[in-house]
Formats: sequence, C-alpha cells, structure tokens
Amino acid sequence: MSDRKEFSLNKNMISTAVYPIFFGLFILLLWETEALHKIIDADTFTLPVPSRIIGIIAENLPSILKNTKATVQVAVGGLVLGSLLGYLLAMIATAFPKWGKGGLTIVSAFNAVPVIAIAPIMTNLTKDFSRDPNLRSMLAKTLVVMLLCTVSMSINAFRGFNELKPFSEDLMKSIAAKPASVFFKLRVPNSVPYIFTALRVSVPGSVIFAMVSEYFAEYIIGVGRQIRENIVLAQYATAWAYIAAAFVIGVTMYIILLIFENILLRGRR
Amino acid sequence: MTINRKKASERLVTLVWGLGLIGLWEIGATVVENTKRSPQNVLPHLYQIIQSVFSTAMVSNKQTALQIVLSNAGLTLYRAGIGFLIGIAVGFLLALLMQRFVPIEKIAFPYLMMIQMIPILGMAPIVLAITKDIDKSRIVIAAILTFYPVATNTLAGFKSVEKEKYELMHSIAATDRQLYTKLLIPACIPYFFTGLKISAPMAITASILVDTLQGGGGLGCMLSQSLKHAMSIYVFWQIVFLSAIVGILSYQLMALIEKIVSPYERAGA
Repeated sequence: MSDRKEFSLNKNMISTAVYPIFFGLFILLLWETEALHKIIDADTFTLPVPSRIIGIIAENLPSILKNTKATVQVAVGGLVLGSLLGYLLAMIATAFPKWGKGGLTIVSAFNAVPVIAIAPIMTNLTKDFSRDPNLRSMLAKTLVVMLLCTVSMSINAFRGFNELKPFSEDLMKSIAAKPASVFFKLRVPNSVPYIFTALRVSVPGSVIFAMVSEYFAEYIIGVGRQIRENIVLAQYATAWAYIAAAFVIGVTMYIILLIFENILLRGRR
Repeated sequence: MTINRKKASERLVTLVWGLGLIGLWEIGATVVENTKRSPQNVLPHLYQIIQSVFSTAMVSNKQTALQIVLSNAGLTLYRAGIGFLIGIAVGFLLALLMQRFVPIEKIAFPYLMMIQMIPILGMAPIVLAITKDIDKSRIVIAAILTFYPVATNTLAGFKSVEKEKYELMHSIAATDRQLYTKLLIPACIPYFFTGLKISAPMAITASILVDTLQGGGGLGCMLSQSLKHAMSIYVFWQIVFLSAIVGILSYQLMALIEKIVSPYERAGA
C-alpha cells in the first residue's frame, strides 16, 4: 500500500518537472524555427533566434560581464543597505509605537511612487558628490534601490515585530521579562519570516529598480542601460544578449534568496 | 468614543509626520538654494512647484506647464488603464484554468514564478521594437506587469478554500456553476484585490517608462524632455508629484472598489 503511494507521489513529482520543461522546449523550438515570429508578427531582426543570441553572448562576454557587475553591485548594495535601514526603522517604530505607526503610514506611501520619479531626482541630488561620473551615478542608482528596499522592509519587519502569537507578550510580562529581552527573545525571532516576505518583493525589485535607474544615470553602464542603448543603435541581437543577462541576474538572486530562506526557516513550517 | 479619539490621534500623528516631511524638503531646498547655481534642477521649494502649477506662462506650443502635464497624463493613464484591464482579464482567466486543469497549473506555475524574477520593465525597449508601436507596447507592458500578480494571487485564493467546503458543496449536489459562483469566486476575491493593489501602481510606472523611450507624447516623454531642458524644469517636478499622487490614488482606488464589491470581508483593513 505504502509502496503504491510512494510511486504515485513520484509520478506526480515527475510530471511537475516534465510538463513545464516540455513546454519551455516547445516554445524554444517554435522560436528557433521562426514559427513564433509568425505568431506574434515579428521579424528575426528584432527577435533573433536563440542560437544567434547565444552566439552574440559568447562574442561580447567581457563587456556583458562588466555591465552585469555594475548592475549587480547597485542591486545588491541597495538591497543590503535598504533592508538593514528598513529593519532599523521598524525597530525604532516598535520602540515608539504611537509615533512609529504613523511614520510607517507615510513610508508606505512611497511604495506607490513610481521609480521613474525618484531616479532623476537622485541623479540631480548626487551631482556634486564626486568628480567621477561613474562613482556618482553608482551612488544615485544605489540610493534609488535603497530607498525602495527600505520601504518594503520597514513595513514588513514592523508587522513581524508586532503581530505576535496571542498571549506570548503577556507571558513575557508575567515572568517579568525586561523590554529588551521581550524584544530579542520574542519580537526578533517572530520577525524572521516577515523579513523574507519583504525580501521576496525587494530582491526582484532591486534588479528592476537598478535597471530603470540606469536609464536616468549620467554614466552609461549597466545591463538595463545597454538594452536601451543597443536598441537605439538598432543592434537588437546585442540587446537580447543583455536581456538574457538581466534574466540570469534576476533568477540567480531569487534562487540565492530561496536557499537562504530554506536554511533559516527550516522547522518553522 | 475612545475609538474615535484613538483614530483622531492616529490622524494627528500622520499629519505631524507629513508636515515633518515637508519641513525636511524645505530645509533641503534652502540648503540647495544657497549652494547650487541652478537650484530648481536639484530641489526647488515646494511653493515654487505649486506656483508653476497655477502659472499661466506658456511653456511650449501655447500650453502652460499644467496643460502639458494634464494632457499627456491622459494619454499615458489611458494606455495604462487598457493594459491593466487586459492584464486583469488574462490573469484571472489563467488562474481559473490553472485551478480547473492540473496540467495547465503544472505547466504555468513555474513560469509564473519565473516571470516575477525577470526584470520586465527592463525589457520595455525590446517590446517597443517588436510591436513597432508605442501605444501597443505601453498596453502590452502594463498588461504583462498586471497579469502575473493577479494570476498568482487569485490562484492562492482558490487554493485557500478548505477541503471541507468542497465536500459540503458536493454533499448538497451543487452544480459546477454553483461551486464557482457560491464558493470559489467569493473565496478568491480578497486575494484577487491584493493582486490588483500590487499591480495598479506598477501598470502606471510601466506606462510612464515606455513613454520615455520614444517621442510622441505621454508623461514619460515630457519628463525626459523637461530633464533635457527642452521646456521648463517645473514640468518635470509636476510630473514627479503627479505620478506619485496617481500611484497612491490607484492603490486607494483598488481598495475602494474592494470595499464596494465585498464590504463584509476585511472590515478592518
């Protein structure tokens, strides 16, 4: 009996993996044989076949790596700084709940502000920071990513600090725990899953924000900017190579996040 | 009575924070005014921006700054709206199909996850190159950005229905139609609106970003022209504020529609 169950579970798992892979290969086949082009009414000039894109990636590998590095630096730098700042803000808001909650209402309004509005402001604000346009563009882009990651982390971490299990706070009080030990023994552990909720939004977000802020930066570097520059020059195949790079950055960062989440949240579910 | 008073004090706190933010901006603007050569490019005073809204001076083409902003806002928001609606329809339909047919869920789910990791906004230029039409590409990008939060959240809503409820529906011999209209769709509504709240500001951001890629009107186009000093820089500042306000309002609008559609669920939120 149990044998059979295991087998059906296995079969289920196999189909979970096989179906999407099969579908992906099917699309790739359509793309490579140019059937996809007929469906969406495109030409091989703007939508080159995969084998050609791979060829272009191989040819331009050094410059793709250079631009990838620039984008990853901005995305990761902004993500780390912003998340730390957001967590700190949530701590402060928890310490002063009355004022903190109102402050976070204002912060959450930033969530709806388009990146497009923030990126040019940051570029202008950092103009006098350094003589080196690369360095000051880097700062401007990192600040944009940081601001948006701060927002999502502070809102989620605040919820993590405050949405405690019923009576757990009362228990801590009944055993005369100091506020500091309530914080570190109860609130901080409780906030861990919420940190990952925030990161699930801000990890893909950081790549997107980094790419968009590259559009408005002074110095021409980064994957997002290269996609655009190459399209302006009508080098669509090269632009696709950078899109592939962007795809790899996004997926890699997300997978790293999932691995971390798996390790840190083990046993919680 | 006490609830009212609590609410009033919460409002006061938010108000104080808002005023604090304005104060911070003004301090920054004063510093910039005294240190930079062209302060209006970096950080103008708020009253200067407000003044420019009501100013009757012609900026270009016999239009005042406000007229330019509003007429182009209409263009951009209209396209964002169409894309948003298409995205909702596709996302909801996909979630329904995924709920109904297991193979479709197996095929589509990994790709739905993956699409979250891809910086779609960075791909805007290539979509423009393929569709060759700025209006079409605005709609397509806004639709893509809308469809996956709606699809994943709605699917989560369908999944949240407990097994007992299915069993109850079967035991009273409910038809398929009744199963959907009485159980599944009501259950997914709150989740569906979560998706809408995420995607509404995103659709607007996307539409503005696509504008910046090409001439021919739209908020983003005016934004980049104003940044290049082709017209008054205050057009830029007005657009920054307008896009922020519209972004926040789009979120609030979704919350309002949710309240109208399902007034009893989530009464607290």
